Amino acid sequence: MAFANYLAKRLGFMAVTLFLVTLITFGLTNILPGNVALLILGPNANAESIAQLEAQLGLNQPLFVQYVDWIVNLAQGDMGMSLRYNTPVVDQIAVRLPRSLLLAVSATAVSVTLSIPLGIIAAVKKNTPTDLTASMLAFLGLSLPIFLWGLVFIYAFALTINGFPTRGYVSPWVDPVGALHHLVLPASAMGVALTAYIMRMTRSSMIDELSEDYVEFARSKGLSERAVVLRHALKNAAIPVITVIAFQFSYAFGGVVVLEEVFSWPGIGRLTLTAIENRDIPLLQGCIIVIALIYMLSNFLADAFYAYVDPRIRYGGSD
Amino acid sequence: MSSERFSISDERKAHYGRFIRQFRRNQKAMIGLGIVVSLFVIAIVTSLFPEIVPYDPGATNVPNREAAPSLSHPMGTDELGRDVFSRVVLGTQISLYVGFTSISAAMVMGTSIGIVAGYYQGLTDEALMRAMDAMMSFPPILLALTIVAVMEPSLNNVIIALALVYTPFIARVARSAALSVRNESYIEAAEARGESDLYIIFREVLPNCVGPLLVQGSINIAFTMLLEASLSFLGLGVQPPEPSWGLMINSGWAYMGDAPWMVFFPAAAIATAVIGFNLLGDGLRDVLDPKGEIIE
Repeated sequence: MAFANYLAKRLGFMAVTLFLVTLITFGLTNILPGNVALLILGPNANAESIAQLEAQLGLNQPLFVQYVDWIVNLAQGDMGMSLRYNTPVVDQIAVRLPRSLLLAVSATAVSVTLSIPLGIIAAVKKNTPTDLTASMLAFLGLSLPIFLWGLVFIYAFALTINGFPTRGYVSPWVDPVGALHHLVLPASAMGVALTAYIMRMTRSSMIDELSEDYVEFARSKGLSERAVVLRHALKNAAIPVITVIAFQFSYAFGGVVVLEEVFSWPGIGRLTLTAIENRDIPLLQGCIIVIALIYMLSNFLADAFYAYVDPRIRYGGSD
Repeated sequence: MSSERFSISDERKAHYGRFIRQFRRNQKAMIGLGIVVSLFVIAIVTSLFPEIVPYDPGATNVPNREAAPSLSHPMGTDELGRDVFSRVVLGTQISLYVGFTSISAAMVMGTSIGIVAGYYQGLTDEALMRAMDAMMSFPPILLALTIVAVMEPSLNNVIIALALVYTPFIARVARSAALSVRNESYIEAAEARGESDLYIIFREVLPNCVGPLLVQGSINIAFTMLLEASLSFLGLGVQPPEPSWGLMINSGWAYMGDAPWMVFFPAAAIATAVIGFNLLGDGLRDVLDPKGEIIE
């Protein structure tokens, strides 16, 4: 079956890509200046104890051997010990990652809520001032960096209206209301930044569907315009929109690195920045690999979904 | 032979004329072009005549810090009493410099990789494109900030990082453009004439990839401006006291309650520049690539 072949091929590609991703991550983080043993022991350490610790950590081995060690441990779910926190990197990430995923999912939800109605309105009122206004609004979201949207929301809704907390995170398991309260500003900021693509895709996809014969037919049956648009056209326009939403989720997940810093959200994005500040190489490697893996996976799922519903893609060459 | 050459060049001229007409009729493209040209004029004029801005961008005047916008300081002053207007105007140079140098480098690398992959196909194609896939498996901001962090933050390292981050996006577009002309008869004709690979790539394949590459490049410049601002905001980009817009927002944020102009004007400058390049890229796409083959 064509789709199974396509999927097998893509998974094969992804395995190769993943191998290259580990190479890039390991290579990059090993250029990072700073002697790890010296960082652990502090500036007053003598040469002997530094050499001893280096031997213990395997840092005196050739880089190639270090890479193989790292990858073998990684495959077993062991990412080493964080130099800063002195706990396993895996534990750190296990705590931080769900918070970032929560933020990215909420942001995607906000942008879907904003952009789909905007896109439908723009399509129905195609080439009118309403259409132009809706398009420009969505476009504005794209034109400011995500961190700046964060600052705009903090300024507008926290400093002036004094409504929502601007910093920190509350676990939804402990205090669901407080969690939601803390989530509103960062999720909205990111959601606004993501609106443009989903809105554009909704608009163009709806415009295509509304020009189809079946829409005329539904109208001639005497269905209300509302039913024609929402029940018939929207259903068929949904496929490309869902694909874009999946891509936007990975974009949102990539954006948490910056957004978490703005809102002091203790997720994997801030953990990455902490790792960079402290030259915590094992932690940095772990964060980069995990973020890349999730980013890759959600892009892959979006591609696979698209190929599943639209067979033309599968015959369109290797990408 | 010669008459055939004439007809090809005439055809290209007609093509070009049609492009110019459609471009001028496209509102988005024209507004975008207007903004981009204005930014260029500002950057070039201020770099040729630095004394044209009212104040030295680095000159501090602590007694007059955080002053509200006035006639002498149309955008107010910052926490050290520096003139925000002068700094925002000079920030145009940095933003354009980062955007253009990084995307030019990415265009050279990405186009070479993409065209070689698309022209030779087979194993070369696989190897090159898997490497590009791997680079695209990192969120752009993460890859950029890791590269900058390992090399230490500076203007030039930001440019290197952004060039590397955007190379695979350009390479993909170049490859698919090269693939689409690979089996055209004029390529076969050139091969039959015994032309060298380099000649075919530069004279036959490359000219047919220019349109999509221009669109992708223009949209990517907007992205590099956003990323530069984000990196500078995180302290992993352009370093003080350079008047980078992202950096100005970073330092102004602490004074947001009392002196919002410190953040507002550089933010407006970023938005204007990004909107300009996005509109230009969008308009170019409407004209050059109506089927929407460019990836974002």
